[in-house]
Amino acid sequence: MSELNNNTAPQQNEELQNIVCPENLVHSKPALLNDQTMHYCPGCSHGVVHKLIAEVIEEMGMAEKTIGVSPVGCAVFAYRYIDIDWQEAAHGRAPAVATASKRLWPDRLVFTYQGDGDLGCIGTAEAIHALNRGENITIIFVNNAIYGMTGGQMAPTTLLGMKTATCPDGRQADLHGYPIKMTELAAQLDGTAYVTRQSVHSVPAIRKAKKAIRKAFENSMAGKGSNLVEIVGTCSSGWKMTPEKANAWMEQHMFAHYHVGDLKDTEVNREPVKL
Amino acid sequence: MSKIKGAVVVDVDRCKGCNLCVVACPTQTLALTTNEVNHKGYVYSYMAQPDSCIGCSSCAIVCPDGCISVYKTKPATAKPAVVADKVEIVSGVAPLVNNVPVEEEREVVLMKGNEAIAHAAVRCGCDGYFGYPITPQSEVLETLAELKPWETTGMVVLQAESEVAAINMLYGGGGTGKRVMTSSASVGIALMQEGISYMAGAEVPGVIVNVQRGGPGLGTIQPSQSDYNQATRGGGNGDYNVIVLAPNSVQEMADFVDQAFELAFKYRTPVMILTDGVIGQMMEKVVLPPYKPRRTEAELVAECPWASNGNGLKQRGVNVVTSLELDPVEMEKKNLQLQAKFKKIAENEVRYETVGCEDADYLIVAFGSAARISEKAMSLARERGIKVGLFRPITLWPFPEAEIREISKTMKGVLTMEINAGQMVFDVRAAVESQIPVAHFGRLGGIVPDPEEVVNALVEKLVK
Ligand code: SF4
Ligand code: SF4
Ligand code: SF4
Repeated sequence: MSELNNNTAPQQNEELQNIVCPENLVHSKPALLNDQTMHYCPGCSHGVVHKLIAEVIEEMGMAEKTIGVSPVGCAVFAYRYIDIDWQEAAHGRAPAVATASKRLWPDRLVFTYQGDGDLGCIGTAEAIHALNRGENITIIFVNNAIYGMTGGQMAPTTLLGMKTATCPDGRQADLHGYPIKMTELAAQLDGTAYVTRQSVHSVPAIRKAKKAIRKAFENSMAGKGSNLVEIVGTCSSGWKMTPEKANAWMEQHMFAHYHVGDLKDTEVNREPVKL
Repeated sequence: MSKIKGAVVVDVDRCKGCNLCVVACPTQTLALTTNEVNHKGYVYSYMAQPDSCIGCSSCAIVCPDGCISVYKTKPATAKPAVVADKVEIVSGVAPLVNNVPVEEEREVVLMKGNEAIAHAAVRCGCDGYFGYPITPQSEVLETLAELKPWETTGMVVLQAESEVAAINMLYGGGGTGKRVMTSSASVGIALMQEGISYMAGAEVPGVIVNVQRGGPGLGTIQPSQSDYNQATRGGGNGDYNVIVLAPNSVQEMADFVDQAFELAFKYRTPVMILTDGVIGQMMEKVVLPPYKPRRTEAELVAECPWASNGNGLKQRGVNVVTSLELDPVEMEKKNLQLQAKFKKIAENEVRYETVGCEDADYLIVAFGSAARISEKAMSLARERGIKVGLFRPITLWPFPEAEIREISKTMKGVLTMEINAGQMVFDVRAAVESQIPVAHFGRLGGIVPDPEEVVNALVEKLVK
């Protein structure tokens, strides 16, 4: 940890130094999120989601009983940053990998971490069937409507009109089809226990997203069925915006198509909620 | 008491200057540096107005890189820092204490090769089977569904949504150190190649049964041996090999399952049992292997310290099952390690059988069902006064190259009999190094040659 950075007068500085002591610590990086610098671009939503997952696993005391399954995409190296056991899956196959791990280790917390291309395109079959079988796993689905790692191509969730490297004039329904709503689909499946869409662009949103991840993980351990937590995120590099602008753009455009909130919570109601 | 309520410490080296904390701070405490950069060249966040911090944690919550620690003067209403909440653990389908049937059945039973595979899996302590129905091997999954091993040994049986999913379930299960297997037929095995390559790359053990049918494409549901090349050359992308065992009887179908698991775990690599519709569908007498309990968690962890299952993480550090490595130097090293492993397998695991080679002038090389037919052809030929011997490779990879070279030294010619257009023949030619003629005979389209045809081919191509 670095020294206190500020531009204050010596006396004030001393006062601050006094505040910075272990008893006063109220928030810091979860220990499970290790010291390696993440390879994500500045402001990337993946970082926040990683942090939340690490916090929840830590708070549940499950560090030695968790198997994470990482995807192909920007989060391919998720296994470098959270200090739990990981399996790196082939593109789209994480739910199949997680299915076997969970069935063979029922007392483990098994989750997949997938992007929109991984879950909503190449891996739809594995995702839908794992969710429909009610595998006691959680899928964390980060949807930023673009292929970040390969340089900003169209994703299955790219919004109509949104420009990407492979739809430079904007996505058009007649040429490229429509943005897919995986989470709405998942809510229709009898195997799912908790299906929700969250975001991580503000303090209240992050608090809610963390609660959602916690609930999904607890459901998995209680054997209630499959859980899907979609996080609508930003990709400032792919969208060619500053992180701040990306957040604002997301609120304005992404939320209009991808409504945030719980879509299904079998504790409350078996039927999916129409958002 | 101080009027300053809170303070933050920014891990400058982690900070990427994304500005999100600056925006999130309700008291405008933070700013990005304008001239100074960290060792990665990013401007970074600092307390520009330190006396206004209220210790609300907003900045730390939004920081994607976990750079900020927040301190607050009045400790928040005594909330225990990190408490492990109680987690209810659901009783699972795969208990690790096994109810292994006590009495050992060693009686002779009559069953199909595919059924023998299923029985053998349950008996040899297999933890999980994942498969997708396809002719001519569906009896494997059907038999398991009838045996219900989840009620006895705790073995998991799951019908996957595709062969692609099935092989990735194998990757997942094998990656946690469990003994897992799948079965399919040619068309489905083609779909599995991606997963098999991942298993070889990530060094994940697992057993794959291929009950071959004719191709190419959807081809036919009739038997064939035309996946020889695919099986013995790895089959997927990258430099790797899969250990390939070729049973020639229902008994060997049963026996090879456990042997395949032993090899898979000894070398941390996928092992294929390459059979075909003839052996899979044929009914024969078989003595099933004795029951062997599934490994306990402690036994598994001792055997597979590399496996990704959480057990012992604090002592051993993180286990990651992956085939990915972007650093070329590291990746070459990884590949060389794999190659060294394959070399070791080639040196130690070659298996074959010879019949009547001592006095033979001609050699037939055949595997699996073709070897059964060739054995008959051999006796027919001897009735006609042609001294023929049979060499049956049991491991197709590693291929018994040196053994064939040695044995062929006293022969006048070699015939490979394969139910394909001529695939193993190239390996046999490489083995005998052109000392003597090596011919191929086979039928295609799902037609299984009869022994008479084989003798005629031998006479025509080699004896004349
Ligand atoms: S490309 Fe986009 S998703 Fe990938 S790390 Fe950068 S900001 Fe994040
Ligand atoms: S949010 Fe984190 S990474 Fe971004 S500027 Fe602030 S401290 Fe740096
Ligand atoms: S703790 Fe709150 S007030 Fe202090 S710098 Fe962070 S966001 Fe601003």
